[in-house]
Amino acid sequence: MTATATRAVPADAAECARVLADAARDRQTVRVAGGMTKSYLGELRDTDIELRTTNLAGIVDHVPADLTVTVGAGTRIADLARALADAGQFLPLDPPHADAATVGGVIAANSNGFWRSRYGAVRDNLIGTRVALADGTVVRVGGRVVKNVAGYDLNKLVIGSLGTLGVIVEATFKVLPLATEADGIIARFARGSEAFAAAVALARAPARPEACVVERGPEGGWRLLIYAHGSGPMVRRALEDARREAAHRGADVTPLAHELAYLRELAAFATDGALVRASLPLAAQAPFADTAARLESLATLVADAAGGVVRAHLRGDDDTVIRDAEALLLASRVVGGTGRVERRAEALRPRLGAWPMRPAGDFLMRRIKDAFDPAGILEPGRSAIG
Amino acid sequence: MLGAHDDLLLYEYDGAVDTAMPDAVVLPETTGDVAAVARFCHEHAVPIVPRGAGTGLSGGAIPVEGGVVMSFARMARILEIDVANMRAVVQPGVINLHLSTAAAPHGLHFVPDPSSQKACTLGGNVAENSGGPHTLAYGVTTNHVTGLEIVLSDGTIVRLGGKAIEDEGYDLVGTFVGSEGTLGIVTEITVKLTPLPEEKRTLMAAFATMDAASETVSAIIAAGIVPSAIEMMDQLATEAVEAAVHAGYPLDADGILLVEVDGARDGLDEVRARIEAICREHGATTIRLASTALERDRLWAGRKGAFAAMGRLSPDYYVQDGVIPRTRLPEVLRVVREAGARHQLRVANVFHAGDGNLHPLLLFDLREGPAALERAKTAGLEILTACVEAGGSLTGEHGIGMEKNCYMPLQFASADLAAMRRVKDAFDPPGLMNPGKVFPTPSRCREFSFSSAR
Repeated sequence: MTATATRAVPADAAECARVLADAARDRQTVRVAGGMTKSYLGELRDTDIELRTTNLAGIVDHVPADLTVTVGAGTRIADLARALADAGQFLPLDPPHADAATVGGVIAANSNGFWRSRYGAVRDNLIGTRVALADGTVVRVGGRVVKNVAGYDLNKLVIGSLGTLGVIVEATFKVLPLATEADGIIARFARGSEAFAAAVALARAPARPEACVVERGPEGGWRLLIYAHGSGPMVRRALEDARREAAHRGADVTPLAHELAYLRELAAFATDGALVRASLPLAAQAPFADTAARLESLATLVADAAGGVVRAHLRGDDDTVIRDAEALLLASRVVGGTGRVERRAEALRPRLGAWPMRPAGDFLMRRIKDAFDPAGILEPGRSAIG
Repeated sequence: MLGAHDDLLLYEYDGAVDTAMPDAVVLPETTGDVAAVARFCHEHAVPIVPRGAGTGLSGGAIPVEGGVVMSFARMARILEIDVANMRAVVQPGVINLHLSTAAAPHGLHFVPDPSSQKACTLGGNVAENSGGPHTLAYGVTTNHVTGLEIVLSDGTIVRLGGKAIEDEGYDLVGTFVGSEGTLGIVTEITVKLTPLPEEKRTLMAAFATMDAASETVSAIIAAGIVPSAIEMMDQLATEAVEAAVHAGYPLDADGILLVEVDGARDGLDEVRARIEAICREHGATTIRLASTALERDRLWAGRKGAFAAMGRLSPDYYVQDGVIPRTRLPEVLRVVREAGARHQLRVANVFHAGDGNLHPLLLFDLREGPAALERAKTAGLEILTACVEAGGSLTGEHGIGMEKNCYMPLQFASADLAAMRRVKDAFDPPGLMNPGKVFPTPSRCREFSFSSAR
C-alpha cells in the first residue's frame, strides 16, 4: 500500500511533533501506524510518510492504588495487559488483534470487543492523552485523574479519529482489579429473535455478564455466548440467570470454551468479501439480524448483543456481496443506527466504500479537521469525513 | 421574553458567588424558538447564555458579558422512556431526579446523581458533565449520553448520535458534553437508562483522624473492591449535617466515610464484610450498617444535604472542587487545612473520596466586607494549585465557568488551550456562546499570570 513511503520512527513525543510539522511545511502526507493490525479500516491512499509509533512504547506511570496507568502509544495491548496482571489489575478493554495492536491504534480506531456493556468502551476508560499535532506542538488532553471536567474533553475527538487530527503519543487509562473467577455457557436457539431477547434480558440483569454475544455461523442456527467474570457468587449468579433465560426460550446449553476469542477476531479473519459493522439500538438488533440471515452472501454474523454492535461477514461473488452489503447498510439506517464497511477484499475497494453516508454534523467535523490539520497531511481521505 | 429590571434580577446569580445582569431573558418552548433567538442574536452579535436550574457552582449561567439568558424552564418534558432500548429522550429543562423517578417503574434509572439532583436539569448536567456520589463505579454524564440535538450560535440545528451506542465520524456528542454552554445550546438529549441495582449495602465508618479515613479509602481500592460510592466528611461538616438532618453521624469523629456497594445480591454481604474489616484495621471507632432502606436514606440524607446544612455554620461559603489521585488524599487534605488556617477561614470537607474529588467548603461572612470573599478565593486558589501539583485537576464536576477560567493556565499549557480554542471556533465562530467562560479572558484575568505548571 505504502511501499514507497518514507518511514519515520520518532523516539519521543517532541520528535514526533517535529516530523508532523516538517511534513505540514513540505505538504507531505502521513500515515500513522502502530501495530499495523487495522490497515484495512477506512479509505486508504498512498502517503509520502509512514510514521510508526514503535519507539513510543513502555509504561510511563502506574500507581496501582490509584487504578490508573499511563503508557506510551506504541505499547502493545498484550504487553500492557501482562504488566497490569503482575500488579493484579487489568485494562477493561478487549479489542481484537490483541496480540499486536497498540494502545494508540486501539484509541485511534476506537477498537472495542465484547466487554463494552459491562466496563464501557475506549471512550469510557481513557482519561488522558498526549497528542502530537501538525503544527509541531504536543498537547495534553484530559489528565491522570479519574474525574476531570477542566476544559473540553478532547479525548473524545481523538478516539476513533483514525489519525486524522494528530498522533497519539501517550495515553492514561482507568484500570480495574483482576477478578478471581470466570465461567461461561453457550445456548443454541432456533431463532435469532430468541437469542437476542435472552441477550438483552441478561444485559438488564443485576449480575451483568462480561460478554453477551450472539452468533450465527455458516452452518445456520443461532448461538448466545455468555461469559461472566468476577467474584465467585457473582459469576454463579450470572450463569444461573443465563441458564434460566435460555431454558425459558427452549435453548440447549453447553459450557463455553474459547469460542469468544475466535469471534472477537472476526475482522482479522474476514479477508475476503465484505465485513459490515452496524451500531444499532438494542431492540433493532433482532430484525437487523433477521434481514442479514436472509441474504445470500451471509457467512457469519457476530453481535455484541448487550452493546448493539453487529458485524456481518458477507462472502461470495463480488456483485452479490456488494448488493448485500448495501442492503445491510440501508437496514442499519432504517432502524435508527449507523453502518460502515469495516473491511472488504482489495478487489471490492473501488466499488464499495467504507463510509456509506456522511455522518450527522459532518460540517462541524470538517471545520475541526481543518483547524487541526490545515494542510490536510494526516491520513488524507481515510475517515468518514474524507 | 422577560426584560423588566426586577425579572432580570432573578437571573443575575446561580449557585456560585459571582453575579451579572442579563439584558433579556427568553423562555423558549421549542427547538424552533431556540433557533429563532439564536439567529436574532447572531445577526445582532448578542451573547447567549443557556440556563437550566441555575444550580451550577462555577458561574456557568451568569451572563458575565451581558446578552440573552435562555432559560429552559418551558422545555422540560420527558419525550420518551424507551425501555426496550434502555434509553430516554428528554428536553433540557427536565429535572435530573424526575427522569430517574419516571424510569423507576421499569427497573431503570439515570446514573449521574449530583447533590442538587432534586433541582438541577439534564441540560445543565450535559453542559457541566455532572457527576455525583455514584459515578465512582458507574461514570459521569458523558458516559450516559448517546444523542444530542443542539442549536449553534447561528441558529443551525444539528442532531448528533441517537439511541445506538456510537455514531460514525468524530465523537461530537462526547466533545459537546461538559463544554459548559460555550459550543452551542442543547435542545434534546438521549441518555442511557441503567438497571437499578438489585440490592445495596451502605455503611458509615467513623475515624479519629482524616488521615485514617483517607488511608482506608486507598486500602479498600487496593483490596480490589470498587464500591459504587465512597464519600468522606470531616468533623465540621458532620456537625453542620447533624444539626440540620440528624443523620446519626458521631459528632466526635474527625473523619467519616460513607461506603456503598451495590449490584446483584450475590456476594454483596461478603464485600460489605471485607470493607468493614478494612475499616476496623484502620481504626474505625464506630461502624454503622444501614439495614433498611429508611436507614440508608438517612445516612445519605446527611451527605446529600451537606452543602445546604453549611448555613448553620456560616452565612456564606465558597465550595472548591479540585481532583487529586486518590493516594494523595492525606497530604492534600493537610494543605487544605493549612490554607484555611493561613487565611483565618474555617474549612469543612465533604467530598467524593473514592475518585479523589475534593469539596472543601471555605466558610466566611460577607457582612465582614468583600475582603472575606477575597480571602476565601485566595485560599481556594492555593488548594487548587496543590491539586494540580499533585497531578490532579482544577475541577471534577463543578466546571470551570467564570470561577476558574483565569486559573486554566495552572493546568494547561498554551498549546493545550489553543487546541480547545480550535474546537470552540469550529462550533461557534463568532464567539457568542456563553462568553467569558472556560477560557482565560484578558480583561478579567490580567492579575493572574501563572507560569505554566508543566
